[in-house]
Amino acid sequence: MSNTLYLRRRVANVAALGMSMFATLIGLAFLAWILWETLRQGISAINWNLFTKISVYREEGGLANAMVGSLIINFIGIAIATPIGVLAGAWLAEYANRTKLGESIRFLNDILLSAPSIVLGLFVYTIVVLPTTVLSDHTTSFTGLAGGIALALIALPVIVRTTDEMLRLVPSTLREAALSLGVPQWKLTTQILMRAARSGIVTGVLLALARISGETAPLLFTAFGNNFMTLNPLEKMPSLPQAIYEYTKDPDPAINAIAWAGAFVITMFVLILSLLSRLILSRNKVSHD
Amino acid sequence: MIEPAAGIHPQSTATAAMAPTKLQVRDLQFYYGGFQALKGISMDIPEKKVTAIIGPSGCGKSTLLRIFNRIYAIYPKLEARGEIVLDGENILDPGYSMNRLRSKVGMVFQKPVPFPMTIFENVAYGIRHHEKLSRADMEIRVEQALRSAALWDEVKDKLKQNALGLSGGQQQRLCIARAIALRPEVLLLDEPTSALDPIATGRIEQLVEELKNEYTIVIVTHNMQQAARCSDLTAFMYLGELIEFDQTEKIFTKPSKKQTEDYITGRFG
Repeated sequence: MSNTLYLRRRVANVAALGMSMFATLIGLAFLAWILWETLRQGISAINWNLFTKISVYREEGGLANAMVGSLIINFIGIAIATPIGVLAGAWLAEYANRTKLGESIRFLNDILLSAPSIVLGLFVYTIVVLPTTVLSDHTTSFTGLAGGIALALIALPVIVRTTDEMLRLVPSTLREAALSLGVPQWKLTTQILMRAARSGIVTGVLLALARISGETAPLLFTAFGNNFMTLNPLEKMPSLPQAIYEYTKDPDPAINAIAWAGAFVITMFVLILSLLSRLILSRNKVSHD
Repeated sequence: MIEPAAGIHPQSTATAAMAPTKLQVRDLQFYYGGFQALKGISMDIPEKKVTAIIGPSGCGKSTLLRIFNRIYAIYPKLEARGEIVLDGENILDPGYSMNRLRSKVGMVFQKPVPFPMTIFENVAYGIRHHEKLSRADMEIRVEQALRSAALWDEVKDKLKQNALGLSGGQQQRLCIARAIALRPEVLLLDEPTSALDPIATGRIEQLVEELKNEYTIVIVTHNMQQAARCSDLTAFMYLGELIEFDQTEKIFTKPSKKQTEDYITGRFG
């Protein structure tokens, strides 16, 4: 090979490598900046009161009620979305794969996946909050439960999609092997395929949880928020993202600082969830070939 | 009863294996949508013998095997016409119970595919679907199956471990154990050694030799030496047709068709 041609290739290679590294760096720099800023502003405001005292507007200066509310609402959301999502995903992958109906539902699920979360909040406001208002003596019945339902609608398509994809990754030879033993389809799906795809499905649920734990908009007119501590999901319920939203709007810098602390807590929670799901996936990586 | 049609179908006359016929294939056609993959296959597969099916890629040998337990039926747009008579009944009859067919005809696939469970559960899983056994009886059945598959000594101390931790050859023998645990009458092997190293292959071939005392075995293989080594009869297929079906020795020493000779001498395929 001629030297000039070789040189030209080397230069092109270095240039392409350099540009893609630069692009990666830009993306990572912003992520690092966000994390750093959250850490810097948040960590200085972190103190024990944050976890033991309730809302600043009750003059206690903490986020305890918001954290408890968030846990309850997220739990409701995941508890509703997981069984429905896993079953729907299993149906798509195992019963409706390559059928017209299955393809249409998969497409609709992708639309739901990218639906603006505030629209889902409005939807729940219309079909849950308003009708129950009529039942509860015409006092507007914002509830933690309604918030949980709104979050379930956001988590649902994530779980459907990961379950569907993870099951379709299981090699078809495993299906044939089970069916050749006379095992019926439902047993194959629930006892063999779901077990083979288990770590992927759990990861999907964790990622859905990470996704909903930062949602604010769908909670504004469903859970509504509450300055007191409550464990009753049939009352108005506070949440961490909503508390951050409100504290950020406050003119008092001390209250803004608490918002930063809340943002730090939420970021850590999501980070831990993501790491956990990574860990589960890499631990249980089972090769079939 | 279906009348034996040996005289009418020239291809099946050679089944002079003296053993009674286990699977009687009559004018079998198979379609992948619009494509005809098998064209009028007729053959008599004898009981408790090893029948090998050879032929170049795409000749329809795996397709034929996959009709014997109707595993093809899990995919849409596939259709088999003709007759396959097992113990006097046509298994292609839509009324023939799939459950019964799959307990009578077991299958082992190209790649070892253990279920994601313990070694013990892999073998017990299929049995549990067909029979209700006490714990002790189940343990006996699992041991018998693992012994028959020449795997017992290697796994008896780790029955509670995940089957995915076994080596490829061990996994394939586990799949054979899983299939024979149901006590089938026919065992279908679809290129069972193509993913294994020579030592593991040798063990499986040895196992096939032992298993034919109890089971009717049909093995599809790419490897002509394998067919020559471990089968009693060999069928040569080409482009969806059964070209020649005879004693293995005859096929490999003095085949009666030119195409067979060309294939086994390596002139094509």
